[in-house]
Amino acid sequence: MAALLRDRLFQAWLLLCAVTLLSLVIGGSGGAAAGFAVLAIAFAKAWLVMFGFMDVARAPSTLKIIACVWLAGALGILLAVHGGVLG
Amino acid sequence: MSEPKQSPSRLREGLGEGRLAAPNMTAPPPTPPASGRGEASARGHIPGEAGVWLLIFGEMSFFTALFASFLHARRGDAAGFMAGQAELSRAIGVVNTLLLLTSSLFVAKGVAAAKRGDITQAPRLFSAGLACGLGFIALKALEYAELISRGIAFDSHPFYAYYFGLTALHLGHVLIGAVLLAWLASATRRPLAKPLHLAMTESAACFWHMVDLLWIVIFPLLYLVR
Repeated sequence: MAALLRDRLFQAWLLLCAVTLLSLVIGGSGGAAAGFAVLAIAFAKAWLVMFGFMDVARAPSTLKIIACVWLAGALGILLAVHGGVLG
Repeated sequence: MSEPKQSPSRLREGLGEGRLAAPNMTAPPPTPPASGRGEASARGHIPGEAGVWLLIFGEMSFFTALFASFLHARRGDAAGFMAGQAELSRAIGVVNTLLLLTSSLFVAKGVAAAKRGDITQAPRLFSAGLACGLGFIALKALEYAELISRGIAFDSHPFYAYYFGLTALHLGHVLIGAVLLAWLASATRRPLAKPLHLAMTESAACFWHMVDLLWIVIFPLLYLVR
């Protein structure tokens, strides 16, 4: 069990599951701020999947930068549309 | 001029780093890492084929446009979209999220096992990932059947048009991913003999992770955002 808890992939999975349940609680509370928080959490999870499971963390810096810029850009667009800044 | 031949063990050492090790008769062979995932080299290693990453970013950009369209439509009829959301089962949404996250864990560990040349564990891990994927498909079918039995269809409300459109498109990707996982479970019963096999294994795994990644955003959009 201790070896499992030290495993980098298992740690990422545990964190992803915990954050999923957290977003469920936040989403259940309702309100506009909760919507923004839930979207931000989703992209934090996406970052964790990319860098943990897809091994982008060990990729050349170009791919790391593209991944980070893409995630930040997509989140920015969705938050802007959700907030009425865009569209 | 023919290239110098490499022994199978040397090939596998190269595969552990995601590329063929350069033939070097004087330097000692690199020691395979215990974890099988290897230390990052100075330049790093692109997981899978570079073209797969073009596909991944292209697919994710396409879905982001759909997500933005959904949020824009939602602003025009917030009450209607919330009423539609209330008809969905959050429990199924959460279980499906956990199933895909767990399948991603199995697939990532399967890739690590395949790199180590562990032909016992790798197929089992990919099969476990596939089982989680099939569980996702079964639950999604159950959710569709439940909604349709209540008279809810694609054209009932714009929310359901987005719901069925986004989830069906995603489900198509899950089905493709499931076929790839079945192939991985079969292909990794033999040691990865060529760099191409590693690239294909990593590419298929990255596709599956992309499926997970898309659901990670679809789930809060359809089930949680109010």
